[in-house]
Amino acid sequence: MGFGKYVGARVLWAVVVSLIITTITFLLLAAAPNPAIREAATQAALQGGDPSAAVERERELRGLNQPLYVRYADFIRSVYTLDWGWSESRSQPVTEALLQALYYTAQYSIPWTVLTITVGPLVGVYSAANMYSWRDHVATGFAFFGYAIPNFFFGIILLLIFGVWFEVVPISYDTSVPVFSVQNVRQLILPVFVLVTGSIGATMRVSRNESAEFQNSEFMKTAKAKGVSPLRSYAYHVMRPTLVPLSTTLVGQLLALFIGSSLLVEVVFGIPGLGRLTFNALLSQDTNLVLGSTLVFTFIAVVGNLLEDLVFTVLDPRINYDDR
Amino acid sequence: MASKKPEQFDRVDWSELSESSRFDLSINSIGMLAATLPLALLWLYDYQFVGERGATFQAIGLGRNLDPLDYFFVFTLFLFFFYLVLPLYQNPRMTRYYWAEFRRNRPAVVSLGWLGVVFVGGLLGPLVISAPEQSILTGHQPPMFLSINEANVATCVGDVVNGQCQGTWQHPLGTTRGGKDVFAGVVYGMTISMQIAFITTTIVAAIGITFGTVSAYAGGWVDEIMMRFVDVILSFPTFLMFLLILYIYGAGLGMFILVFSAFAWGGTARYVRSKSLSVSEEEFIKATRISGASTYRVVRKHVVPNVASSIITQLTLLIPGFLLAEAQLAFLGIGDSAVPSWGQLLSAGRSDLAFAPWIVLSPGIVLFLTILAFNFIGDALLDALNPEAEAESA
Repeated sequence: MGFGKYVGARVLWAVVVSLIITTITFLLLAAAPNPAIREAATQAALQGGDPSAAVERERELRGLNQPLYVRYADFIRSVYTLDWGWSESRSQPVTEALLQALYYTAQYSIPWTVLTITVGPLVGVYSAANMYSWRDHVATGFAFFGYAIPNFFFGIILLLIFGVWFEVVPISYDTSVPVFSVQNVRQLILPVFVLVTGSIGATMRVSRNESAEFQNSEFMKTAKAKGVSPLRSYAYHVMRPTLVPLSTTLVGQLLALFIGSSLLVEVVFGIPGLGRLTFNALLSQDTNLVLGSTLVFTFIAVVGNLLEDLVFTVLDPRINYDDR
Repeated sequence: MASKKPEQFDRVDWSELSESSRFDLSINSIGMLAATLPLALLWLYDYQFVGERGATFQAIGLGRNLDPLDYFFVFTLFLFFFYLVLPLYQNPRMTRYYWAEFRRNRPAVVSLGWLGVVFVGGLLGPLVISAPEQSILTGHQPPMFLSINEANVATCVGDVVNGQCQGTWQHPLGTTRGGKDVFAGVVYGMTISMQIAFITTTIVAAIGITFGTVSAYAGGWVDEIMMRFVDVILSFPTFLMFLLILYIYGAGLGMFILVFSAFAWGGTARYVRSKSLSVSEEEFIKATRISGASTYRVVRKHVVPNVASSIITQLTLLIPGFLLAEAQLAFLGIGDSAVPSWGQLLSAGRSDLAFAPWIVLSPGIVLFLTILAFNFIGDALLDALNPEAEAESA
């Protein structure tokens, strides 16, 4: 199988996976009692009407009396045409609400991702170069600490120390601040720091262990013998092969963290991003919005996994397409 | 590798071996059956004769009730004992070797001690310490050796010095706003965490090993379909799906364990498959096959034991993720609020953080240490069980 064919097959597979997950979501929702219908029945009962007639009316209004396959086709069509319905709790289309939330999520996710991808491998290679020195131990300790401390707990503690006691950062998030301003940096520095400590540990460990292998390789000895400066030899001969295995784990880990932690971190720091939106939608029983945000996170995960596989094949030419 | 062979070849009792059949039970399996049977009977009794609300042991005057999760937890404990602890005792030579390898990693030894504390505390703590109870009057009591301004507490259990309420041994880690003892809460949280750890590990291992070996041995298009299915499982956003299920149906701790373990075995299955493919290429497997062993016997006696030791590491590293997810859900306040987990305590103390930080700090630090301990142990097990991987992790 050639490269082009492999990419094609992989993209197709991503579409299939997203379809499967959307289908499961649909089935879950179809099997569940709809809160809106219960609401209608309660309303009718309170106003002295007939609850069962109200339920029937509401079902018809929402197209729930149609057969399952018609509803399924309808659902899939509206999912892929981005017709995601109306969010009742926010009184705006779901896509609009999601875009607005994404704007705030991006403000901390982009610096977080950039910092993790750049600082993680650098520190990892550095600690491999100084293996078993105190610098290495400090870096390893930091990696384990960041990896093990629950992000939301760490966030609360930092907020307590720097927000309440020292008052250097604002406690509540201010949405009116311009994106590129000192205030915005001040209110985002803690969430970014918390997320970076959470994700950088794994990156550091992997790059440290991987580069330890290349450090004593023949080509490094040759480079040293030729008189290549340490900086240059590490940058060209250790860093590059290290990035290949790193890229395979990195995207998946970042995504897992993004989906799980962004919600918590946004709740702790009061950022009105995607996670908060999902959470509020759950609390206010806004089915369309819950569904919309689930779909966004699903698509992010699927596309992320796709990119990870593609990057891997581009970076490592030895890979055999038939085996995957 | 968990082999049960005698140390020397000439001591093998061949007549015994040749007479053994597929249904031959090892001492471990006999013990497992002997332990599970009373448990199953107790469950049957509980299910049939004790009402929905009655406590399991009310006939003998104990107030403690067991729910299905408790039964499953005890069952996994038996499994753990008969198939992990007992084999270690039966193979003292290998155990000594593993321990010597393991001991080289000092943080891991400390971590093992800590997990031992959590395990014993979670198992025996609820029998010794009574469940934390609401008592509004004694809310916000400070922990031992700390004090709090008198204005923040309704009644101070300890002494009041200069308008500062002092901590007492009655509440060594203080109390929450509702007057629940934080120490008791932490101990009860240990039980929940241990239940999550043991049950999810058992389910993940069972599904992962079965799926992986079947896929490896079936081969062809069955293998292909099974591995594609694993791909789907792996790219499933579990946390979100659980939120969705929670939103639609509502869910307790049992549902949490079920959903999270149902979507966590993808990596294990993939790993088991590749490992059993490589194991089945080994010479000793060919020898067993030529001697007429069935595929089931090869898998059961040779492939699974050889794979098991290396997936233990992987499972150890999965547990912290479950504990964290539970704490996160409880913290968001959308988990089952009746479950006295660490996350529940964390969320209970969040609003009083500024003047009563111990409510958040105690469970938070315990959770942090537990996750750290699992990571250290996973790291050390990787070195101890997989000598080949040592170069990688050294």
